[in-house]
Amino acid sequence: MRTWISSATVMLILLALIVPPASVGQTACQLNVPTLKLGVQGIASGAHADYGRQINMGATLAIEEINAAGGILGCKLEMRFMDDENKPATGVKNARFLVNEWGAHFLYGTDSSGIAMALGPVLQELKRIQFFTHAATHRLTEELVYDKKIKEIVRVSAPVYQDAIAAWVFKDNPEIKRWATIGADYEYGYATWAIFKDVMKKSRPDAEFVGAAWAPFLTLDFSSQIAAVMATNPDAIIATPWAGEAVTLLRQALLMGVFDKVQAWFQAMGGSVDVLEGISREVQDNRFKGKLWATARYIHNWPNTQINRSFVERFQKRWSRLPNYSAETTYSAIYITKLALEKAKSLDTDSVLAALNGMRIPTPAGLRVYRSEDHQFVYNVPAGRVVWDAKYPIPVLGDLVVIPANEYWRSPPFTAVPVGK
Amino acid sequence: MDTIGYQGLIGVSLAMSLWLISAGLTIIFGVLGVINFAHGSLFMVGAYMAYTFYGLLGFPFGLSVLLSLAVAAVLGLIMERGFLRHLYHLDHAYQLLLTFGFVLVLDDAVKIIWGGVFKIPPIPRFLDGAWPVFGRPFPVYNTFLIAIGILVGIGLWALFEKTWWGRVVRATASDREMANAIGVNVPWVFSTVFVVGAMLAALGGALGTPIRVAAPGIGAAMIIQAFIITVIGGLGSLKGAFTGSLIVGILSAYGTLFFPIFELFFSFVIMTVVLLVRPQGLFAHVN
Repeated sequence: MRTWISSATVMLILLALIVPPASVGQTACQLNVPTLKLGVQGIASGAHADYGRQINMGATLAIEEINAAGGILGCKLEMRFMDDENKPATGVKNARFLVNEWGAHFLYGTDSSGIAMALGPVLQELKRIQFFTHAATHRLTEELVYDKKIKEIVRVSAPVYQDAIAAWVFKDNPEIKRWATIGADYEYGYATWAIFKDVMKKSRPDAEFVGAAWAPFLTLDFSSQIAAVMATNPDAIIATPWAGEAVTLLRQALLMGVFDKVQAWFQAMGGSVDVLEGISREVQDNRFKGKLWATARYIHNWPNTQINRSFVERFQKRWSRLPNYSAETTYSAIYITKLALEKAKSLDTDSVLAALNGMRIPTPAGLRVYRSEDHQFVYNVPAGRVVWDAKYPIPVLGDLVVIPANEYWRSPPFTAVPVGK
Repeated sequence: MDTIGYQGLIGVSLAMSLWLISAGLTIIFGVLGVINFAHGSLFMVGAYMAYTFYGLLGFPFGLSVLLSLAVAAVLGLIMERGFLRHLYHLDHAYQLLLTFGFVLVLDDAVKIIWGGVFKIPPIPRFLDGAWPVFGRPFPVYNTFLIAIGILVGIGLWALFEKTWWGRVVRATASDREMANAIGVNVPWVFSTVFVVGAMLAALGGALGTPIRVAAPGIGAAMIIQAFIITVIGGLGSLKGAFTGSLIVGILSAYGTLFFPIFELFFSFVIMTVVLLVRPQGLFAHVN
């Protein structure tokens, strides 16, 4: 018995020597939590699935990098990703699960404006900040934050002001006067058309808005929408269906000879990686005749900075894919969290929000500046012509038009823009 | 006038793609009495299979469509023989639950096999381009869809009206006990009808591949419209499904042109009116 006890004692001593205590070799989490839990959601199924997938990839990359460098204030990051299935009810259910059941300290993501508007008021109840990294409606920040003071909403991605950049890009083209839209038949499509018209009327009083056709989610055949707007003889079209639906729309427009008639087609989120992949063959064959223009909430080939080039390289190495905007915005949102927490040294919502005040952070998309009135990060994203560049495996935006965001983004105090069909 | 004519033609092509899917749905209901929620999933499977054969493996488009139909036929056979057959004696609710289960299984299977991201192959050369109709370019693809829709209509009419199999099916649909008593192999009839329905759904999906993306959940969009059409035309009536498709397709196209704000309501308004005035649908008979 004595031999056994002494052997066990020796083993324990050896183990104590071999295995260092938790505090040795790694700093204890200064935020007093076992791990910092980040709940992430986006669309991970259906024609828009690539956005949720890219949100997941961007978040994963940021978390891997931050954890490899020791975490945030010594706290390791842990992520849980959920598919919101592009349904507001699922988005709200996910958020409740992530916070109440899983214990998320912060939330990220959300692709759809409709889901974002449903989720906003729930965040107040959950007492958690969500960094929105895709949903674009201006109402999220103008109405829910600026008017209704829902402080838990912070948006890192460019809102629908970006989609309306078309009004600035084409304001000096007198030959383009008659505009029509093929719009996404929900919040995002209405908001883009409303803001586009609002901006265009100011800079081009002669502009005419001749037609509008609306396509709900899951539209598989856009021919009636295309035929309806083409019947109004527009000079240019601004289109807001996105992801796989944008690809379907553009291919059908090609088949219907639209690019022989119009002078420009502005596909609002056509600078998205999945859309560019989907129309690669047609761009290579110059089927759009140089008339297809687009923007995005970040494009991988701009700005030409070290931080962006390095991000794109690391992203490609990790995922064998070019980063889309939802990846960059989520990646940057997690680094914004890091900076805010390091300043706040607390998980308290008010402390974190106070730490965001005045924040200017270099990100792959360029310098992001926090606007405290509406909790919106402001940064520039260019618009450009969709072109083939042999340097890249997919088409890119070229002939870039860079306009400072402060010139075309709406800013407080906000006056309401009537939004509707 | 040209605008109205052109938009009407666009509506007809829209109607023909709706017809392909609603035809299968109504045949299955008419004979088996099953409301097949998974019909949209078979449409999706058709799209993915056509993408795989044509877009990935490089088979000719026509052959790819035929192979997609073959896969859907096998899948339909498994669904009917392996599962549905055991529920015919139970309440309709069990069949609904089972077919809804198929939707979930097939959606997830597609995500596992092809991933969640949409797929799109090149446009076949013979479907590319347009020809002038009412002074505007009308796509060859839409013309092709109209032709296929009409051919399928004629083919189904001939199949049900002019063949022995069609007579057996109609007899079974009319009175399955009597058909059984006179020696008709009713289970075999059910299997073949389900397979034909599955192939029609897959045909709709496969033919859309050149312009539409193949993505999980695309069947959901089609199945809602197909249900509206079958309610308008009358559940179980092929003539009803064809007419219902034309009504929904053409009114949807004109709605987009003239009433873009209300266009989405049109189908539902028509369905509501039909349900109020003639609940059995335009062409179905009340037993």
